[in-house]
Formats: sequence, structure tokens, C-alpha cells
Amino acid sequence: MSNQSRQNLLYRIRIQKDLEKVVGPALNRLPNLDTIISMIANLSDPQQVFISHWAGLIADSNTELAAHFISFAPKAFDTMVDADVQKWVDLFLKKYDNHGLGKAITLLEDISGFAIDQENKGVRCSLQQTSLFLQHFIRGLGGRELKISGNDETYTNTEGLFLPESISLFPQPKQNFTIYKLTAAHLWAQTWYGTWRIQVLEKLTAEYNDQKSLNIFNRLESIRLNYFIARDFPGLSREFSEFENRDPKVVALWKLWQDRANGLRSPTATAVDTIENIHHFLDIDLPVLQPYQGEIFLDRIRETMLSRIEQEQIAFQKSLDKLRDDNAPKDEADDDDFVAKQMLEVSDGDSGEGEPSETNFQLTLDGQPIELSDDLKNLAGSIMQDFGEIPDQYMDPMEQGEYSDALLAQNGESEGDTDPDLNETGTFQYDEWDCTRQRFREDFCTLRELVVPPGDESFISDTLEKYHGALRVIKKCFEAVLGESRPQRRQPDGDDIDLDAIVNAHVDMTLGKDMSDHLYTKYRNQERNVAVMFMVDMSGSTLGWVNNAERESLVLLCEALQLLGDRYAIYGFSGRTNKRCEVYSIKDFKENYSLEVRQRISGIRPKAYTRMGVAIRHLGQMLQKTHARTKLLITLSDGRPEDYGGYKGQYGIEDTRHALLEMKQSGVHAFCITIDSEAQEYLPHMYGTANYAVIDEVEKLPLKVADIYRRLTT
Amino acid sequence: MSKTTIKNEQNFIKNKPYYEPVGDEVAIFTAAYENQLPILLKGPTGCGKTRFIEYMAWHLKLPMVTVACHDDLTASDLIGRYLIKGGETVWIDGPLTSAVRHGYICYLDEIVEARKDTSVVIHPLCDGRRLLPIEKLGELLEALSSFCLAISYNPGYQSVLKDLKQSTRQRFVALEFDYPNAAIEEAIVIKESGIDESMAHKLVKLGHMTRNLKGNGLEEGASTRLLVNAGKLIHSKVAPVHAVDTAISQALTDEPDMFQAVHELSRSIF
Ligand SMILES: Nc1ncnc2c1ncn2[C@@H]1O[C@H](COP(=O)(O)OP(=O)(O)OP(=O)(O)O)[C@@H](O)[C@H]1O
Ligand SMILES: [Mg+2]
Repeated sequence: MSNQSRQNLLYRIRIQKDLEKVVGPALNRLPNLDTIISMIANLSDPQQVFISHWAGLIADSNTELAAHFISFAPKAFDTMVDADVQKWVDLFLKKYDNHGLGKAITLLEDISGFAIDQENKGVRCSLQQTSLFLQHFIRGLGGRELKISGNDETYTNTEGLFLPESISLFPQPKQNFTIYKLTAAHLWAQTWYGTWRIQVLEKLTAEYNDQKSLNIFNRLESIRLNYFIARDFPGLSREFSEFENRDPKVVALWKLWQDRANGLRSPTATAVDTIENIHHFLDIDLPVLQPYQGEIFLDRIRETMLSRIEQEQIAFQKSLDKLRDDNAPKDEADDDDFVAKQMLEVSDGDSGEGEPSETNFQLTLDGQPIELSDDLKNLAGSIMQDFGEIPDQYMDPMEQGEYSDALLAQNGESEGDTDPDLNETGTFQYDEWDCTRQRFREDFCTLRELVVPPGDESFISDTLEKYHGALRVIKKCFEAVLGESRPQRRQPDGDDIDLDAIVNAHVDMTLGKDMSDHLYTKYRNQERNVAVMFMVDMSGSTLGWVNNAERESLVLLCEALQLLGDRYAIYGFSGRTNKRCEVYSIKDFKENYSLEVRQRISGIRPKAYTRMGVAIRHLGQMLQKTHARTKLLITLSDGRPEDYGGYKGQYGIEDTRHALLEMKQSGVHAFCITIDSEAQEYLPHMYGTANYAVIDEVEKLPLKVADIYRRLTT
Repeated sequence: MSKTTIKNEQNFIKNKPYYEPVGDEVAIFTAAYENQLPILLKGPTGCGKTRFIEYMAWHLKLPMVTVACHDDLTASDLIGRYLIKGGETVWIDGPLTSAVRHGYICYLDEIVEARKDTSVVIHPLCDGRRLLPIEKLGELLEALSSFCLAISYNPGYQSVLKDLKQSTRQRFVALEFDYPNAAIEEAIVIKESGIDESMAHKLVKLGHMTRNLKGNGLEEGASTRLLVNAGKLIHSKVAPVHAVDTAISQALTDEPDMFQAVHELSRSIF
């Protein structure tokens, strides 16, 4: 053995020993350890240090993963620049933290995939960057609410649009952004121009539920949709053609399909016509999908649609029943027979042309047109998207019995929860509104007042740090509110002479009347006479991001409120069943923004469910007892009311709404700030159209809450 | 070129204002007027409330006094005050008093903006005898039979401090306005801006798209007024997408994502 090779051997042994020290026996289980070690030996010193350093850190979490890292590190340094290797490590470690060992190893091994991704970074457009825009854009186009989310497959299930997490098909980020827009728009067009009418779904499932037919259907349907898009959205249509596949063969094949399916390019063509064309295309090649086209997953559509249709029929019939009830002459209102016999009729308006149009939808009761609520309009719109009309049976009154099936009445006894001692101090009883019976359940809810245990105060300083800049802006706005207050006229003393008052006094004097001495203007701000109760959702669903954002919001808000001097209290609410409703005191009206209060804000943690009605009644009463001209109850929440045992859906919403109405009657203004993207469906009904705000992104909550408060009270 | 300044109380509308009726509001207003009932016009901004009242003033052949209410507007701004002229004190009627005295239409625009004490003078005017108490003169002025009080109110306001009190609103016959349906709105945009039918169709469609976004990032969708404004720019040869950006999108939002969404929506239809 030459001196040189002996040196090498010793070197390699030392490397191996070092790595064994950090990783342990897992290292020796690697299949081709020798090769790996010699590859490492060929790396530069800093690279070797990097490997042993990270192997040690990774081994602290998992030695298996560390061994894998060692075996792939040489290849990583081979394919990527050093900075990217670091990113690769960060990425699979994150994967390990969130998804476990298996997923992390898969990611770790796919070095070439990662390297390509890194290279694409400059051109890539991610869903995260675009989703807010896309959500607005799709909403603007109209129709049923479609939620945008990321997925490996691109498709729609008629309630959501599933799009890739990132797109790097084209060399410019802007082009990739456009692909997002076009893909979303094309999927939207399926839901808008009747690709998923129920007849179509049934026919496809019954006769063409094989991949080949669905592939043909997808392409033919796209030809039909592009016709409608060209007619109604010429700008979009131009962009579609810009991004179509330019390969002459592909172009020719699409052309052939378009010619053969020419009948589909007509205002009267429907998706049923598309289906009937399928068999003409069995014998010719499939063109590749255009970059903006998604795929079709019939089962997922079917599942979503069938459950929606069932729910919507019940909801629709119930709304109509209520309309009949409300519009019945007083003396007949109790007569169910009479109410049921009123003639409700619907005319869909003849938008024809393949476009569903909720705006033309008109309902008449015994010949009289009736105004529809926005909720009902949306519901009708959604039904028309599924059926192209309102089916006749939807107009029938509901069978009496169906209520109880569709809407389980609450059963307080069946929970099996032991009663907390009802005599306990700080325990309160409240009625709850039962919409199925249209009456109160007396003393149904038992509520206790608890105090949030103090949390770590560093959360407060971290938040102040994090929002340092934003807080300055917020404070400025709040100061402006104070500055805004106009000079007060006709004061007995003040900063300036009130000319108007002097003139008046002069007049009085010449008329021989008493002269007023209120001749000054005061620039001090008018006293803001506002008391506000913040009611914070502490249900289990707020775990994580939302809870964090809620706490941050409260910190910023308190800072800002200190400036205004408005009286405020903060309570959390949660609970589990009617027997155990809870409110958690964070700050009462009398307390200052003290250290304890700050610690309690930091200590807010998710608890159980959201029984909202009882919390509103309790906290609302507290608010009523304060002496202020304006009383505000602001709820921060992440979703609809929901509790164990039937407090959900309509029941929960109706009780909450009832509680809010009770508040309103006693002079309390209620407002809700939510991050629930489905809030549109129930909040207008609960709070009234102008009395809620939906925040799109949790991260924005802390900034928005202060802003909304300011607008509400100026 | 000189323009004559119009004294508020002489604002007699000679030329028929263009107003496109949306429902039976003309008949209801007329009926309320004949019964000496005060009228509340409710509706979002830019949906034609002001235009409607101008039309009604012309229709009923009455001069109209408009007061744009602001948060420093007091009762005496409406009623009037003494002034001093050469050592003499002279009483000057405020806009409301002069409308009551001479039997005009008095239109209080955005009434919720005014100070609370204004309701004190409005209430007795709305009751059976239609009296205006003028404290300074020690008078109770009875309204001439042709006097008509109309107020406007935008319920979309979020500030709880600016809600119209029940005791006030329950004295009025309320006419609810909303953006007109597509066909009517198209006709309005065509007539007001001079653009052709297909362009108006697109603008109205865009209007509906922005209204879909109300409550989800936009406080309000584009009003008829904004559509008319965009139409006017287009009529003066501004490129449609650009006209929409400046006349509509910028007016609606400052949020970049939302602006871009409205921008892309308009690009998609032009
Ligand atoms: N029915 C209508 N007929 C004719 N023009 C209309 C009609 N509705 C709206 N417009 C147009 O919209 C513009 C705005 O209407 P207008 O000024 O009456 O709104 P508004 O309801 O008074 O709004 P604001 O509450 O902001 O004062 C008008 O100048 C007119 O061009
Ligand atoms: Mg106006």
C-alpha cells in the first residue's frame, strides 16, 4: 500500500468514525457506506463540516433521517450550489416536522426534482401569492361561492377550485400568473355554463363512466365552453388563445376536433349535447389538454353535488314556508291549511342563452311579486346552477314531519354530562331560543364565569415588536379620530371666540334680551361616550393560527384603545353542551390595561365548542349595565355557532340571531368580525347586512380589527 | 362666459331631468306628497336618489332646496339666524324655514351626518300639523300646503353612531332604492354617457361583478354613478380598461389584490 493511499484510508476512517459518533449505528445500516464515505472525502472542507454539523442536528430528531441525509449529501453538493443544499435541508426537515419520516425521506431523495424547482424559482408563481386575487376574481365572475385551494390535481367539485401549489410552465412569472387565472376561469366556466347540471351528471354516470369517455367529454366540453367564453368574455378568450399549445400537430388535432364538434359552438348547445357527441370521437386521437384545462373527477363532483342538492332543497322549502307564513293575513297565520294553500310561483326569467341568472329569478305569491332576501337569492342561484331551473317539487310546502328529521331538535338530557352544582356562585341560567318549536327553552343553559389563567408576558412584547410599524399607523389613525372632533361652540370659556355666538349675543342685547355668556369655542375633543364588549371565540377550532391572530388583535386593539379612552371589556366564550357554557374574563370594564390583563390575553387558549347565544345574552347584559351612550358588542370568531348535541346549523344560527335581536332591542349594537370564508351564508341573517366583516387572511386580522373598530365608532 | 349663481331657494328646475323610473316610486312619491307625508329615500350611494328628487321637483313644478348635511350642521343652520347689518339686527331664514314658508321641497341629503339636535326641528314638521318652531323669533311656522320634506339615508353605513333613530325614521314614508336592473341600468348609462349599447352592456356587467364582491373585500360594489363616469371617459376615447381602472377600480379599493381582481375582471370582458 502506497503512502498516499494509506493516508486516504486513514482519512476516510476518521470521517466515518466522526459521523458514527453523531449518528450512531444507523450509519452502518446504509447499504453502500464505503462509496458514500469516499465521496464525502472528496468534498471540500466546509462542505464536510456542513455535513457533520447537520447530521448531528438531524440525529437529535431522528437518526434514520440523519443517515439518509449523509448518504444523499454528496449528490446534493454535486447537483446544486451550496446555498441550495441548505434550502434542501430546511425543506425536508420541515416536511419531517409536519408530515413525519416517510414523507421527509421521499423529499430528501428527490434531489433532482428539488434542483429543478430551485432553478424555476425565478419564474414560478405560487398559489399562495395568487389565491387572494383568484378568490376575488372568481367571486366577481359570479355564481355559487367556489373556494380556492391547492392540490396535486387540477379540477373542480362544483364547490371548490383545486389548483396546483405552484406553476412554472412558462419562462415569465407573469405568464404563470395568467395561467392560474385562466385555469380558475375555465373551471369556473364549467360551473357557470352548465357542465355540471344534474341531468349531465346522471347521464355521464349511467352511460359514460369510463376514463376514455370522460377524456373525450372533457375536451368536447372545453370546445363548447370556449364558445360561451368568447361570446361573454372576449378579453379572457383572447388570453386563452394566446396560451394555447403551439405545436403544429396539436393545433391541427384540436382544429379537427373543433370542426367535427362544430354543433357545440352554438348558444343553444348544452352539456347534454356534448355527451351525445362522445361516440363520434371514439376513433380519433385525443389532443393534449391546453395549459389552462383541468381534469374531471366524476365521483368527487357527484358526492359534492348530491349532498348539496339535498340540503338546498330542504333549505329552500323551509324558506318558502317561512315566506308563506310571513305573508299570510294575520287572522289566518295560525291556520296551517290556509298557509299551505297560498300559491307560490316562480318564473326563471328567460335568460336562455345557457347562462344561469339569479337576477332574473322572480317569485310571486298569489300573483304578487315578493322581495327576496340575499340569502334566498343566493340559494335560488345555486339551485339554478344545478338544475337550470327551480324544480317544481321545490315549490311545494314541506311536509310537517320533515322538520324534525332535517333539523334535529335539541335534547338536553341525552348528553350524559353530570350537572355542575347549580348553586355554585358565578353560575347563571339563560333561556335559549328553539327555532324548531318557535319558543324559548326556559333556563336551558347554565353558564359559569371563569378567569383566563395568566400566560407568558413575552407574547405581548413579541407582538408589539412584530407589529411595530403597523402599530404606529394604527395609533396615528386613532389619534386622528380624536383630532377630528370639531371645535365645540358656545362654551362658557375656551380657546377662541365664537363669532356666531357673539353676533347672537349682540342681537339679543339690541333686542333687550339677556345676553348669553357662552361665547367661546373649545377645541378639546368631545367626550366619546362609548362602551364596547369584545367577545372572543375560544372554541377548539381556533387552535393554532386563529388563536394567535386573535390574541395579537387584542394586543394591538388595547394599545389603540388606551388612546381613545373608550371603556372596554374583553371576554372569551366557549363551552360544551347547554349545561356547561363558559365565559372567560380577560378584562372587565373596571380594570385597567394592566399586567394581569396582558398576561390573560397571552393566556387565551382554545377550549371546546361555540354556543354563541348564551354568551351574547350574558355579556350583552353586562354591557347594558354600563352607562354609556353607545354600546357595542363585537364578536371575533372563526365560524358559525356550533356545540355538542344539536346546537348547529339552523338551530345554532337562529338562537344566536335571536340573542342578537334581544340585544338590539335593548340598545346594544352588535358587530361580528370573522375569518370564516363561508360567513356570507349566515352572517347577514344573524347580524344584518352592514354589521359584519369577513377577513380573508388570518394574518390580516390583527391589523383589521383596530381599523374596523375605528370605522365603527367615528 | 358668465354663469348665473343659483340661489338655493330659487332652484326651480326648468328642464326635465333625465330620470329612468325603476318601479312605482314616482306614483308613491306623488301619493305621499298629496297626503303631505314626509319621504325617506333609502339606498346605497350613487343609485339615483338625488336625481329622483330633482325629477320629482320638476314633475310637481316646485322649487327645491337641497341641504347636504355634514357633522357640523346644527338646527340653526337649517332654521336661520340673526345677522347684524349696519347696527340693525336682521333675521335671515335658513333653507328649511324658507322651504316651509314658501312651500318648496326641502331635501336633506345624508341626514345621519347632521347633528342630533336637527331631529328636534324635523319631528314637529313631520307630524300632522306640520309646524316649524322658530325659537329665536318665538314663532311656530305652519308649513304651506305645497311644502314637502324629503330626506336621504344610506343604510350601508357602518358607524353605529350614525344610525337613523327609530323615532325619526318612523315618521317617514320610506322609498327603498337599489341599483336598477341590468336593462334599466344600461339605458341610464347609454343616455348619461353617450356610449353605445354593447359598451354599456359590458359596463353594467362589470358593475354586477363588483357587486358580487360586496362584503368580501369591497365595502360597496360600483354604483350607477361610477358606471356612468366610466362611460363618459370611454365616450371621450379613453381605452375601456383604462377608463374602468381610473373611474371604477381606484374609486372602489386601495387593496392591491382587490384592485387587480377588478382590473382583470374588466380586462376579461373588453
Ligand atoms: N334612475 C336613474 N335615472 C337616471 N339617472 C340615474 C338613475 N340612477 C342613477 N343615475 C345616474 O347616477 C348618477 C348618480 O345618482 P345620484 O347622484 O342621484 O345618486 P345618489 O343616490 O343621490 O347618491 P349619494 O347617496 O351618493 O348622494 C346620476 O348622476 C345619474 O347619472
Ligand atoms: Mg345624492
